[in-house]
Amino acid sequence: MRPAWSSIFDDSHLPRYEVADLGPITKEWAWGGSTGSGVRVAVIDSGVEADHSAIGGVKHAVAIEPDPVAPGQVIITEGAHEDLFGHGTACAGIIRQVAPDVELYSIRVLGERLAGQGVALMAGLRWAIDNGIQVVNLSLGTSRRDFFGMLHELADRAFFKSMALVCAASNLPEPSFPAEYASVFSVAAHDRHDPLSFDYNPTPPVEFGAPGINVEVPWRGGSRLVVTGNSFAAPHITGLIARILQNHPLLLPFQLKSVLVALAENAKRR
Amino acid sequence: MTDSHLLAELALLATNLGLALRPAGLEELVRSITDVARRTFAAQASSIAILDEGADELVFYVASGGSDEVVGRRIPVGHGIAGWVVSSGQALAITEVSRDPRFAHEVAESFGYVPKAILAMPLETDRRLLGVIEVLDPTEDAAVHADMELLGVFARQAALAIQSVQSFDHIGQTLFAIIAEAAKQGDLGKALESIAGETSPSGEIAELASMFNELSHYGPEETQLATEILRSVLTHTRRARRLR
Repeated sequence: MRPAWSSIFDDSHLPRYEVADLGPITKEWAWGGSTGSGVRVAVIDSGVEADHSAIGGVKHAVAIEPDPVAPGQVIITEGAHEDLFGHGTACAGIIRQVAPDVELYSIRVLGERLAGQGVALMAGLRWAIDNGIQVVNLSLGTSRRDFFGMLHELADRAFFKSMALVCAASNLPEPSFPAEYASVFSVAAHDRHDPLSFDYNPTPPVEFGAPGINVEVPWRGGSRLVVTGNSFAAPHITGLIARILQNHPLLLPFQLKSVLVALAENAKRR
Repeated sequence: MTDSHLLAELALLATNLGLALRPAGLEELVRSITDVARRTFAAQASSIAILDEGADELVFYVASGGSDEVVGRRIPVGHGIAGWVVSSGQALAITEVSRDPRFAHEVAESFGYVPKAILAMPLETDRRLLGVIEVLDPTEDAAVHADMELLGVFARQAALAIQSVQSFDHIGQTLFAIIAEAAKQGDLGKALESIAGETSPSGEIAELASMFNELSHYGPEETQLATEILRSVLTHTRRARRLR
């Protein structure tokens, strides 16, 4: 008699899998020579201005809006769209700066209506999981407890599908989801400007620090701004993960974290 | 008292009660929070805009420094810095606004002029996002060293004060909702009792209306007495407000 879940471990069924070679972990090994080429990276945000000089095009765009007549449902529109605010373009621009050759996907979940935005955000995450996105930048979140369970389930699904979900921590000292979950890469701002310089916080929930104070970014309408916020720290880590994945496509999310923890500026090597 | 008389009295109550019962100085408190935020960040101006959820618009509620003309101005939540803040629930600091004329135009539409720097923070309570507080052109030193957390404290204070204002403003709506519910159920007393039993902030007001309904069953003299007492309270409250 076999308990549930044990059949997968029966010798005749047990899957064989390829394992990433975790050679001596150095920056050169991790992201040396990589531009993120071929890695599928999505920005879940306000849209991305594809023809901004700092963006240079997106591979695919999808807009997800709450259905005005069917509460709880969404309308999904595939195809080019504009950035309604500028924030998504800023995040995409930082990713392009760190990893210029990624395949960039824009998943727009913020629109002209406020009602139902939480539903759109979750549908955006589902779209990313179902469409084989490898790294998602989510510089958004919520502190409302009623989304806790549903977002947690989606973050776990992303984790088990090997999708790295990079989340900006809230700008205020409050719980924020999904940034607080152990299954995601949570990021806050440090005040240095080298785009590849990041720290690890050994006392989470916020795990990584990256540039996010007075950072110059592209914005809506072909413009550029100097901005501050944890929103702009997350895409630095997103870009870096994309570069690591080009060199080591087999790395799973927890292995990616191990690589980042080993290479953070504040790591003391024994 | 007939039902139609009672409804007329309730309508009167609904239109005046919120304003009359609202504790003095809530708007003044919001204004002073905006002032303190401006001074703390040594900024040119500061403003608070409140969400009109039905219209998906932000309405400027108070402004400190700069032009008062911005008060009452409406902007859609679908674009702009304030729009981003209420849509995403995330704070944002722009330390150097673009020289790009299209961006400048968009910002000028919201504020009446183009600031160099903007610090914007959502106004939130545990239950709801109510609007946005913005600080324009803080001194460079304040912009670099001030903590976003500090503006967060002002934002929280303002959100709680605005929540109180809105709770009182909704008292009238609650009463009309009771009447509508009663009309549907055909039993005004039962509907009032059920709403009065709720623990929401408007529950006390519903209880007041319920007592009013009960009085109406004792006879016209009791109803008249209650109405006169209430009218005196309203007259006194209005006069007290005018004197301030």
